[in-house]
Formats: sequence, structure tokens, C-alpha cells
Amino acid sequence: MSSPMNQKLPDNMPQPTHEPTRREFLWKTAAVTSGIAALTHLASAEKTPSGDRVPVIDCHVHCGIGQALQAPYSTENSPEHILRNMKQGGIDQCVIFPISNTTYEEANIAIAETCRRYPGKFIGFAKHDAVTEKFRIRSMLLREVRELGLRGYKSHAPQPTPEVLDVIAELKIPYLYHPRQVSDLVEVARAYPGIDFILAHLGSPQSRNPQEHLNGIAAAKRYPNIHIETSYCLETRYIEQAVRELPAEKILFGSDGPDTNNALEIFKIRMLKLPAEQEQLILGGNILRLLSKYRG
Amino acid sequence: MSIIDCNMWMGSGGAWGFVDTQASAAGVTMRQLNYEPEQVIEECQRAGIDRACVIPLRHPEYEAANRYVADQCARHPDRLIGIAVHSPQREQGSLKKLLTTEIQSMGMRAVRSDGPPTRELLDVARELGIPVIYYPEGRGVAQSYHMIASTYPDVTFILPHLGSYEGSWHLHMEALDLARRYPNVCIDTSAISVPPYLEMAVKEMPNERILFASCGPHLDARVAVESIRLLELPKKAHENVLGNNILRLLKM
Repeated sequence: MSSPMNQKLPDNMPQPTHEPTRREFLWKTAAVTSGIAALTHLASAEKTPSGDRVPVIDCHVHCGIGQALQAPYSTENSPEHILRNMKQGGIDQCVIFPISNTTYEEANIAIAETCRRYPGKFIGFAKHDAVTEKFRIRSMLLREVRELGLRGYKSHAPQPTPEVLDVIAELKIPYLYHPRQVSDLVEVARAYPGIDFILAHLGSPQSRNPQEHLNGIAAAKRYPNIHIETSYCLETRYIEQAVRELPAEKILFGSDGPDTNNALEIFKIRMLKLPAEQEQLILGGNILRLLSKYRG
Repeated sequence: MSIIDCNMWMGSGGAWGFVDTQASAAGVTMRQLNYEPEQVIEECQRAGIDRACVIPLRHPEYEAANRYVADQCARHPDRLIGIAVHSPQREQGSLKKLLTTEIQSMGMRAVRSDGPPTRELLDVARELGIPVIYYPEGRGVAQSYHMIASTYPDVTFILPHLGSYEGSWHLHMEALDLARRYPNVCIDTSAISVPPYLEMAVKEMPNERILFASCGPHLDARVAVESIRLLELPKKAHENVLGNNILRLLKM
């Protein structure tokens, strides 16, 4: 079976720009991928033939290659594969971050390269392992955000350490977090009120524990810095409940590619037939607002 | 073209699907649900589904639960198709009598096995010519299905959720392997959040053995319909998956 990484991109999709060497990319084009340029890409994506439509942004997509070869979702997701899915789902931009690995320096560089190769299509988030990369995360993350143009942070459990949280607070970048349980997120969100946390999967992938969906909604209601993200939610009644009980500003659309399909995931939002303003916030406006707080 | 959902839930009882083995081991009661026939019909209408096969939820007394579902189906014959449920372990020795009545006198069309199907259940199903719906819990698809599918090649089995309600990729793969090996195994499309496996199913299996289902009204049937539409199947295959196949299996 051919790898999705090697497949040619259809002609009607944005083609990659000249691919610089990693060294060129790192040291000669830092300014291009800095914050100002990244936000320019976001702004340009808003200019569509229909006027000032807010771009549709999927804020949860794993990208790249994992070393472990243990499961499809932690093995590979190429930018080209993501772009094909985006086309089917009517997605303008995706937040991408590395697939699970033991360390992330190289993977984060690859994410930044991907963002640069496809201008305006991807927003890169960094990822780190708070244990294996202990004591190096501050310097790496500062460089990844300030020099490589990554614009947020993603992690799974275990709990983030103060080393990670301090630098995220300093940079004012959003933090997409998939905790072991919602109470873990609440603990760090209370300790770091200046960080915008985004709770992945509305607290429970595939709705394996619906009570966690309720806990996630309650947490977002109570804490101004907790937002929820909608990906991989099987019991969509909880998305509907979130929409009923939370301000639209607290809800962000995500798909959790590669295993899910952003066309099906966005359908779960579109079928709610929300007022246009609310839908635009959920599908893109909210993540843009959180990204705009960046202070490099 | 009729859209027929082959797995909707009705009545009161425990949820099918995801099994919290840790909670079960700790003696925690499974999630209790209650879906009235009107809710099922409303969900169908909202999703553009013409008819639904309705299955009692997990229940301590399936004779009563089946009778309730059969009565509701008789009230809404143009909307609901009744599926009986039995526990081969708890109801050992009485399956033939109960199921024969439910199929021949009460108009039910298939049986769901709550627990591993036994020879007693499968002998009756074969005699009545009805499909057996079975979702294995705990032991996985391959371990649970090889013996029953090979020993009863003339019984049609329907494996819900492409083998995994909780979205385990390796159980989906086991289901695909199983369906390739046994022509008497069909899969239903309910609760599949990982469309790549559904895409694999339509590429690797004859479409005649893929059955549209939603687990509504517990899950949103509109999402289930959309997951089939996104496959962009040829017209005939699309119609087969959405309704023709289950009608053929139920001899309707």
C-alpha cells in the first residue's frame, strides 16, 4: 500500500512551495515564519470571494510521523492527506501538531516546515514530553514559537509541569490539552488563569465516559480560561448541551485527524443549524481570537 | 429508495455498545436508558430514515422487553421492525419456545444475542431462518466469532459497529478480516467515528454485507446517515447499504 506521505497532491490543491533545507529554514527564514507572518496568513485566509467570511479552522489534527508503529493514529499523517480531507470537509485551515513520539524537537521543526510549505493552510502547535525533555522545554518552546512560528501547545496526559506552563503563560499561546480526566485540567487551569486551555474531545474521546463530557462543560462554565473542543465526540447530544449552556466563545471545532474525518466532524456542528455568528465563532473565530493574544 | 436503520434502541434498560469493564468488575450498574417509540420515530424523521429495526435495551427479563417492542411495532408497522433479544446463558432451555413465538406470532424478524451465542440459540435461529446480531464484549471479535461463524455457515450474523463501539482500530481490522473469511458475516455501520475503517469495509467487502445503522436515538442518526453519504458509493451500492440489504436479510 502506498504511503499517504508519498502520494501526489491533486492539481486543484495548493501545491508546496520550494522546500528549503532544514538549515535554510531554521536560520534564514525565521522572520518569515514569525508571529507577524503567521497572523498575515490567517488574515489572508479570511479574504474570500464571498467577502469577509471567517475561515473554517479545524483546531485538532495530528501530523507527521511517529516512531513507535503501534497504532494508525500514532504512525503517520501527511500534510497532503490532511489537505485532501480538508477539501472534502470544507476546512480552510488546520491546527497541526506532532504525532506522539518520545521527544519532539525534530517533530516540531517538521511541523513548522509544513506550515511554511503550505502558506495559509496550517497553524502549527508545538508538543513536548514533560518527562523525557525535562529542563530543555523552556528554551525549545521559546525558539519554536518565536523563531519557527508555532502558535500554540498540545499535550496529552501526564500533567504539564510548571516548566511548560510558565513559558506558555509568558508567550500567551493557547494550550490544547487532552488530560487523563477533566479534574486534571481544572487543577492546572486554576493555577494558571492566564493560559487559555482548550479541553480536547469535550473531555472524553469517543464519549467513552459521558460523565467527563458533563465535567468538561461544567469546567468551561466555571473557569474563564477553559474552552472545550468538539473532536471525536460520539454522543453528539453533549455538543448540543455545550452549545446550549456555554457562550459560543467557549467552543472550538476540531476533528482529531488522522483517524477521524473532518467532513463528518464538521457535520456534527453544521447539523445544529446555529445562528451564523455562533457557528463562525465555533468553526474558526474562537481559535483566531485565542491565537491573537500571542505576545512574542 | 427506502432508508432502513438496522440498529435502533427502544424501551428501558442498560445501554448496548461501550462496556466499561472496570466499572463492571467493580459491580457498577451499567448506564440505564429509556427511549420511547415516539422518540425513535422522531429521530428517524429528523434523519430521513424510513423504517427502523428496534432492539430492546439490555434487560433482566427479555420476554417482557421483547413483548413491549413487538407491541410498539404492531402500533407502527410502517415505521418499526422488531428485533428480539435473548441471553443464551440466562435463558438456557427456553430459547426455542420464546423465540419461535416472537418470530412466528409476534412479527419479530431477528434475534440479538446478549452474551455469546450457544448452539441452542443458533439451532433455533437456523430453523427460523433469521439473522443473529451479536456484539462481542471483552474477548474481541476474532476470538468470539470464528467458532460460531464457521460452525453455522447457514446462519447470517450481523456484527454491530464494525466490531468496535469504542472505536478500537484493531477490533475494526479483526472485523474486516472476519468478514472476508466468512460470507455469512455482515457488519453494521453504527457508532463508527473513524471513517477510514468504514472506507476499508466498502472497498474490501461486498456491499451486500454492509448494513446502515445508527444506534439512535441514543446516538444522532443524522451523523450516521452522513457517514454513509460521505462514502460516495455508486447508486446501487448506496441503496443496498442504506436499506436493501437489511430488507433482504429480514425477508421483507
